[in-house]
Amino acid sequence: MRPLPGFNLHRPTSLGEALELMGALKSVKPIAGGTDLLPLMRDRAITVEDIVDIRGLHELKGITVEDGTLRIGALTTLTEVLESPLVAEKASVLREAVGHIGSVQTRNQGTLAGNICNASPAADSAPALMVIGAQARVSSARGVRRVPVEELFAGPKMNSLGKDELVTEILIPELPSGSGAAFEKLGRRRGITLAVVNAAAYLAMDGKKCVDARIALGAIAATPIRLPEVEAAYKGRELTPEAIEESSRACYSLVNPVDDVRASADYRREMACVLVKRAIVKAHARAGGGQ
Amino acid sequence: MMVDFVLNGRAVSCDAPANILLLDLLRSELGVLSVKRGCEQGECGACTVLLGGRPVNSCMILAARVEGRSVTTIEGLRDEPIMVALRKAFMEGGAVQCGFCTPGMLISAYALLRDNPSPTPHEAKTAIEGNICRCTGYALPLEAILKAAEMTPAE
Repeated sequence: MRPLPGFNLHRPTSLGEALELMGALKSVKPIAGGTDLLPLMRDRAITVEDIVDIRGLHELKGITVEDGTLRIGALTTLTEVLESPLVAEKASVLREAVGHIGSVQTRNQGTLAGNICNASPAADSAPALMVIGAQARVSSARGVRRVPVEELFAGPKMNSLGKDELVTEILIPELPSGSGAAFEKLGRRRGITLAVVNAAAYLAMDGKKCVDARIALGAIAATPIRLPEVEAAYKGRELTPEAIEESSRACYSLVNPVDDVRASADYRREMACVLVKRAIVKAHARAGGGQ
Repeated sequence: MMVDFVLNGRAVSCDAPANILLLDLLRSELGVLSVKRGCEQGECGACTVLLGGRPVNSCMILAARVEGRSVTTIEGLRDEPIMVALRKAFMEGGAVQCGFCTPGMLISAYALLRDNPSPTPHEAKTAIEGNICRCTGYALPLEAILKAAEMTPAE
């Protein structure tokens, strides 16, 4: 048993109070679910003097739709995302990805915003959020800004937030009709596992022609990445099985993964092609299959 | 700091430094020894408790943050019909070997059957994905959970 290092725990009851604390304290981290933060603290990978518990901030709770935008408060647990009829209806690809994160216990405690802010290159929610154009609403005592989810990732386990900033909600735009998205993950096993590679694809179709495509891969680089070259290859084309095969093979030379305990770089490259192809095929069918 | 919460239906009040985990508060201060210390990194599920009715790993929760909430361990579910059925099915089915994972697995299985009285084998598997067992190979615990579902009287 190795105890956590000591720290001061602050429990603000409003967002304003929390942001003031985050601004004033020198060595500070917010805690929501804590499932990523606490192991890092125990391993001394992170040392902080102050922790701001954001659970008392009622304005960060709940899932709503406003003017077509799906808003997921930063305190929303992964289980709440999975069980939300609004998420199932408006962002089913996110639901699909979140089902792969951790275990029941982790999903009951951990939050969607936390999965992003932890900035693991293998975060399963990231590719899904990236392909549907999700943004984070980021607040500090200095003001509020909106950041595309991919820009929150700065490096392995490093987010791009200032130490005084807090993600307050995840915003997902309304997806046009005739569009579809899908998530695929390869792990060493099915349950409670980190991705060897994960992928998400989004397609918007006009009849048989693809008018918009977004593809994201995780666990393949220092951050989850988009594949603009492959996206461009799909746009304006009819997505025949041959076209899908050819363009997903192009992933092989576009990614530069690492060798690690979970897989070799070469295996990851091969699997990136396979997962992108599977995600595209599924997204294509969900977008109406070019009918 | 003082933390007041409900443990197995009874109000408790303890002094808990900020860096104390719920796991340690339960075991060391409150003597709840069914909650096992396993991996201490939220992977193995041996320390699973119900927090507000949902299974969570108590090694991943600061004790001070359960203020005002309800924590349940198998001690608090002794007479619950679903737990009685699970216990019987686990014992009769030989679903226990060393027993270290059993309390956590029973908590996960209890939450499953409470919310979903007739789970499919896949749903049962998913429910215990966060409970690692190094002895049984999961086949007998899964059988026992499905058996308990059949035994539990419909409400």
